[in-house]
Amino acid sequence: MDAPNLVNIHVKLLAFDFLTLKPIPLDPTSFSRKGKRLSRAETVGIVVTRDFKPSRFLKFDIDDGTGCIPCILWLNQETSPHFSRRCPSDVRLISQMAADFSAQVQLGVIARVRGKITSYRGSIQITVSDVVIERDPNSQILHWLHCLRLARNCYDKVVVPPTA
Amino acid sequence: MATVASGALVNLEELVPPSPHFNHGTSLRVTGKLQKYDVETAIAVIVDGNASLKVDTQHLNLNLRIGSIFQFIGELLLVPDHEAILKARVGRNMDGMDLNLYRQTLQLLRDFQAGR
Repeated sequence: MDAPNLVNIHVKLLAFDFLTLKPIPLDPTSFSRKGKRLSRAETVGIVVTRDFKPSRFLKFDIDDGTGCIPCILWLNQETSPHFSRRCPSDVRLISQMAADFSAQVQLGVIARVRGKITSYRGSIQITVSDVVIERDPNSQILHWLHCLRLARNCYDKVVVPPTA
Repeated sequence: MATVASGALVNLEELVPPSPHFNHGTSLRVTGKLQKYDVETAIAVIVDGNASLKVDTQHLNLNLRIGSIFQFIGELLLVPDHEAILKARVGRNMDGMDLNLYRQTLQLLRDFQAGR
């Protein structure tokens, strides 16, 4: 089987693995893991820090037991020029969804976070696109097992260059 | 916002010298059944098998029910007579967690990390 293309897939990585991703020069949207390009990630862990700036952002850290992943959830959709060309009703919906996520992310909850892999001041982080608060106390264990299985059977597969 | 240390996953029975986790200031994540809780001091005692650990819960807003399973993340403090107490910064009720699966997965996780 060919090594899969992982760009735009939410890869399930343990924090210690995620924190070793390397930026790709001239491509700010992708990061490299063992020679493969990644752009999105998913993590599950306990929220251990929370820095809330109303109408601007919520920064928080997810501790998955192997490391802490910094996450940023933007809350400035209604004032950001980035959204100025989009339909106002869509922007309001996105803004409301982000506000709902920020209310759910409280210290001590188990959160499943998905988003883009980004870098800020040299540190890697997740720019959050969605959050699910996990009620099942076994969700963290199952996430660890998924990460191990996917790393071994999928993400670690060596990219073989096509033969001429 | 300062970066916070990840709480290393440990079983309570591992928290004895010369374990690398048994150090003053080490950040840990511990899991156990709540055996005792002192409302005056906010000190809880969790147990797992024959091992136990005191947990300082004064910074937590948590409904601590005897007999429930709790998980805490915090820093280990070693007081002069080698007694250990975890100063918890985060805690949560984990009733329903499969403790056997948790221990087995912890071992798989460690093997995986060691192989990197």
